Amino acid sequence: MPFDQLDLKRAIAGDERAMQRLWSQHAPHIDAVVRRLCGDPELAADVSQEVWMQIFRALPSYRGDSQFGTWAHRIAVNRTLNALRKIRRLAKLEVDIEDDSAVTENESERTFVAESIEQAMAKLSPGARAVFVLHDVEGYTHGEIGEELGITPGGSKSQLFKARAKLKKLLAHLVDDSIPVAGKGKEHVAPV
Amino acid sequence: MSHLSEEQLDHLIDQERTRVQAPLNEWRTIAARAREEGLIRGSAEGSSWRGTRPWMQAAAAIVLLAGGIAIGRTTAAIPGSSTDQAEQPAMATAAPVSNSGPITQVGGTTFASVDEASATLERALSDYQRASAFIAANVSGPTTIDSSRIYSARLAALDQVGNAMEGALRTAPHDPVINQYYLATMGARVATQQLAARPVGLRLKGF
Repeated sequence: MPFDQLDLKRAIAGDERAMQRLWSQHAPHIDAVVRRLCGDPELAADVSQEVWMQIFRALPSYRGDSQFGTWAHRIAVNRTLNALRKIRRLAKLEVDIEDDSAVTENESERTFVAESIEQAMAKLSPGARAVFVLHDVEGYTHGEIGEELGITPGGSKSQLFKARAKLKKLLAHLVDDSIPVAGKGKEHVAPV
Repeated sequence: MSHLSEEQLDHLIDQERTRVQAPLNEWRTIAARAREEGLIRGSAEGSSWRGTRPWMQAAAAIVLLAGGIAIGRTTAAIPGSSTDQAEQPAMATAAPVSNSGPITQVGGTTFASVDEASATLERALSDYQRASAFIAANVSGPTTIDSSRIYSARLAALDQVGNAMEGALRTAPHDPVINQYYLATMGARVATQQLAARPVGLRLKGF
């Protein structure tokens, strides 16, 4: 049953059933972005709790100007990035983000065999992962990413380029597997 | 060392974007946190508007919407209530209903815009709710057989009002007046259930 305005009113009033319905409908998407940004399942689970508390706290301020999922998604991204900053995972990256030498590979990384793109993403530095996830997966523009991370759009583009290059290496073992070359010849059309 | 092509990477990203994943936590974990913070008021079993186990709701504490107690005590004249204290805020919430047209002056107050009037209304509602919560917490009296009947009658009436408000919300989900009255009605209902659930003779000390 879709979450509607009536459920929203009930959730604001503290109705657990309405809140659970809201969570059930949106948790797969909200938690997915948290998981991708964190890169660590345990950390992501903790951050997800904070995200959902913030969503519930902020419910009265939801004006219906956008889809609820979009509104909640923004909260999830902001809250997750804040959490990552707090634990200083992003701090180093934000210093290094304009530094071209930031992305380096050691032997263990080169020999790392990723089983999935999620695992490969987890191998990215926190900031590179954030840029990659926000741009390529979530559809943010470089300008929006710059605002979220406190970097320039150029820095975001640079970080994305490095992230994609690294992912292509990390996922190289999949070349011989059955990844179709979908849209061969098509340009990368992620938002700029 | 071989690399994925741009297209192959894009394909993987597309798969990742659409991949359905289980939530990171179970609902009971989220619910426990929400309950700790007071975001959940009541329990899932009794939280339905027409719940079959209303005594579960009676345990809920809705401070935000505690105005219902003040309204109820005023209208029912239950022993121990303070009519004078509750009457004024009750009138305050009634104001918006009688001013549905483009009126710029209400009583002695002039509004320059709808936004200003809305902000005033929100402040008034907030003040009203806090005052009602204070009254409910500090003015109490014993529950009697008569008051129990009054509570039952009030619950039935509030159900009817709530149903009407639900219908109105479906038609006009963003109407601020309907929203306020819907929330106030819900609060009044839960607060009344709290009162009705108290053992006869037990004094209400607060939420």
